[in-house]
Amino acid sequence: MTTRPWKQYICLACGLIYDEEKGDPDGGLPPGTRFEDIPEDWECPLCGVGKADFEPYEPPPHPVVETPATAHHQNDEEPVVIVGAGIAGWSVAEALRGLDPALPITLVTACDGHRYHKPELSVALSRGSGPEDLVQQTGADAAQRLGVRLLPQTYAVGLSTDSRQLRTTRGTLRYRALILAHGAHPLLPAVLPPELCWRVNHLDGFNGLRRALAGGSRRVAVVGAGMIGCELAEDLSASGHRVTLLDRQSAPLETLLPEAARRRLRQHLEEFGVTFLGATEITGINAVGQSKHIATNLHGLIEVDQVVVATGLVTSGRLARQAGLAFENGIVVNPRTLATSADHVYALGDCISLSGTPCRFIEPIAHQARGIAHAITGSSGGDYQHRDPVIRLKTRRLPIVLRGCGDVALPWRTLVDEPDYLHLEQRRGHQVIASLRVGRR
Amino acid sequence: MNSALQRATDDIAPVHMERVRAIAEGPLAALANRIDHDGYYPLEVLAALGEAGALAAHLESHGQRFDLAVDAMREVSRHCGTTGFLIWAHQVCGLYMEQSGNPHLQGTPLQAHRSGQTFGGTALSNPMKALSGIERMALIAKADGHGGYRVSGSLPWVSHIGPGQYCGALASIRDDKDQPAGELMFLLHCNDHVTLRPCPTFSGMEGSSTWGLRLDHYPVVPEQIIAEPAAPFVSRIRGAFILLQIGMALGVAEGALDSMQEVESQLGHVNKFLHDRPEALRREFDDMGRRLAGLTGTPYATDRDYLLDLLDLRAQGAEFALRAAQSAMLHQGARGYVMSAAAQRRLREAQFVAIVTPAIKHLRWEMDRLSREEWPQ
Repeated sequence: MTTRPWKQYICLACGLIYDEEKGDPDGGLPPGTRFEDIPEDWECPLCGVGKADFEPYEPPPHPVVETPATAHHQNDEEPVVIVGAGIAGWSVAEALRGLDPALPITLVTACDGHRYHKPELSVALSRGSGPEDLVQQTGADAAQRLGVRLLPQTYAVGLSTDSRQLRTTRGTLRYRALILAHGAHPLLPAVLPPELCWRVNHLDGFNGLRRALAGGSRRVAVVGAGMIGCELAEDLSASGHRVTLLDRQSAPLETLLPEAARRRLRQHLEEFGVTFLGATEITGINAVGQSKHIATNLHGLIEVDQVVVATGLVTSGRLARQAGLAFENGIVVNPRTLATSADHVYALGDCISLSGTPCRFIEPIAHQARGIAHAITGSSGGDYQHRDPVIRLKTRRLPIVLRGCGDVALPWRTLVDEPDYLHLEQRRGHQVIASLRVGRR
Repeated sequence: MNSALQRATDDIAPVHMERVRAIAEGPLAALANRIDHDGYYPLEVLAALGEAGALAAHLESHGQRFDLAVDAMREVSRHCGTTGFLIWAHQVCGLYMEQSGNPHLQGTPLQAHRSGQTFGGTALSNPMKALSGIERMALIAKADGHGGYRVSGSLPWVSHIGPGQYCGALASIRDDKDQPAGELMFLLHCNDHVTLRPCPTFSGMEGSSTWGLRLDHYPVVPEQIIAEPAAPFVSRIRGAFILLQIGMALGVAEGALDSMQEVESQLGHVNKFLHDRPEALRREFDDMGRRLAGLTGTPYATDRDYLLDLLDLRAQGAEFALRAAQSAMLHQGARGYVMSAAAQRRLREAQFVAIVTPAIKHLRWEMDRLSREEWPQ
C-alpha cells in the first residue's frame, strides 16, 4: 500500500480528471497508476490530447454551494408564478395563500428573497441598522411558511403568453397565472455610470453602500433631491457623513412641493449639515484613486468618497415588449383587476402604470395584491380601488405629509404658517383636492 | 463600414431559396443518415448550397441578410442537422474574415469561401466560454518578434475542418514574462504545423468533420490576423454568432414537426392523447419565428436588451428542439424507433443543438451575467 495520497490531474483541453487511484483501465492504466508513471504516448480518454496537457488538479476545498432547484416542476399542476420577491411579490403570495391553502405558487426572484421593509433603507444608516436588523425573515423561511417554491438568484428572461411560458435563468416555467411584481430600477443617466454610483433601491445596494461608508466620516454626494434623495441625504448626514445634495432643479422636491414648503425643507436639510447645490448639471464623474470627481456646470469639480444616485425609477419594458403586453411608463393594468393586456398575466407594485402613470408607493400594494388574489382564485369582493396614496417624507424633525392629488396649476392656500409648522391646501371649487403639512405643531 | 454604398454598387446575388430547398429535400435528405451515422462529410452538398448563395447571404457584400442566412440554415437543418451545423460553422468563418478588415482575408479567400469553393469552420467554442469566464483559454500565443506570433495548445473538438481547410481561432497572448497580454484572433490553416487527431465516435452528427487539434509553435503571420486585440471583436460579433445558430434549432424542430404531421392521418386518432401536439408546437414555433424576425436586422447590436432577447430565443430554440424531437418520436411510435428513422436521428440532432457552444447552460450563465447589476468596487 502506498502512503502518498492519490492525486488528480485535469485535462486542460476538455476538463476530464485523471484520478491516480482509479487509473484509466480502458487506456491501459491500471488503478493506482501514478501520473509520473503514465507513458508519454497515453492520450486523454475523452478528447485525445497527450499527458503534457494535464496539470495537477485540486478539488474545490468546500462542497459546491447548494444551488436552487431548476425550474422544472415535479408536479404536473401548473403553478401561479410570481416574478419578484419585494413587498409586492410577497404580498401577493400571502394573499393567494390566504384564499387557497393548496394553490401551487412559485416565486422567481433575482435576489435571495429575504423579506424586509424597503422604505427603511433610506433611514437605516443613522439607526445603525445592518442587514441582520432589516431582514424580517429569510427568503427560505418565508417560502416555507407560505408553502411557496422559491427560486432565488433567478432572472426572468423571456415570456410567451400564448403558451403560458416564463423563461428564467434556471429553466422554463409553465404557469396557470403569472404575476409580475419585478418593480422598477434606478434610472441612471449616461453620465452616472453604475460602477461609480450607488443606488439604494434594494437590500444589496444598501449593504454595498453601508460597507463602503464604514469606518469614519465620508464625503458623500447624493444626486437627485426627490423624496429618496432628501431622505438619504438627511440619513447620511445624521450618520456623521459630509453630504452634498445635488439636483438639476433649484430646490429639493421642486416638482412636488409649493415654494413655501420647499424653502423649509431646504433650510431643514442645511441645518442638518447637508450642502444643497441646486440648478446643478453633472457633466461627468471620474474615479481618481479612492475618490470620485464630479464635474458640474455651476460648481466646478466636487470631490467625494462615494456617490449615491436617486434620480428616479424606471420600469424595464423588455419582458412586456417581448410578450406584447401594453406598456406605458410601466405595465398597463386594468385599474380594478390589475390584469395586464394578456390573458392570465397580472402585475402590481412599482412595475405597473395606471392611466399611464406609475404608482410607486407601498401603501396600495397590499390592496393590489388582494385584488389579484381574488381574481386568480375566483373569489368575490376583492376588486382594487385606486386612491392616491398619502405621501410621507421620512425626514425626522421636519415630517412632510401630502394628501390627495395636487395640481401644479392651482394655487396653495395657507391655513397655518408658524415657525415649525406649515399647513396648506389646494381646492378645486369648494372641494379640497390636496393638503400639505410641513413640520409639527 | 460602407455597407450601404456597397449594397448599391455590388452585384448582389441573393440566396436562391428555391434551390436551397431543392438541395435540402433532394440529395441532402437522401444522405442524412450516412452523414449522421457513417461520418460522410457532405462537401459537395455544401458547394451546391454555396452556389445557391446560402453561405454568403449574411455578409455585408451580400446585403447583410441575416434573415435569409438563418432561413437557409433552417431549411437545411430541417432535413439534416449536421449539414445545418456545417453551414453555421462556414457562415461564421466567413463573417470573421469579412469583419476582420484584413484585406488578405477579405479578397480572394473570402470570395472562394462564401461561394463554397473552399471550406472552413470555427474554433471559438473554448474562447467564447473563456471570455465569459466559464473556462480557461486553450491556445497560447507568443510574439515571434516579426509582427507575427507562435501559437501552441490543444482544442478537443473543432468542426468543419480537415487537411487543407481552415478555421477562425483565438489565443491568449502571453508577454515576455509569461503574463496575459490580451487576445489574438486568426485564421488557422490546417497545414503541417497542425496535428489533427480523430475524435471519439459521437452518438450522431458524425459527418461534421470534427477533429482534435494540436498546435505546436504554429506560426501566425499578419496576413492571417482577424483581430488584435480580439476581445472587442468577439464582443461585436457574439450576437451574430449566436443569431445564426437559431436557424439550426428551428430547422431541427421543424423537421420534427414534419415527422409528427407525416403520421397524423394514420395515427392521429391515438396521437391525440399525447402532450405537445403539432398544432401547439407549431404556434410556439411561429412565435419564435416572429421574434427572430425582430432580431435579424441588427446582428451587431451589443445592448443588453438585444443580447438578452437573442440568448433567450436561442435557449428557447434548443429547449423547443428537444421537446419537438421527443414528441415526434412518440408520435411516430415504432417506426420512429427504427435506427435509420429521421425521428431517431433528430433526437441526437436536438441534443446537439442543446449542448453545442453556447449550450443551454452557457446561455443561462450568460443571461444571468447580463442581468446582474453592476456596483462600485
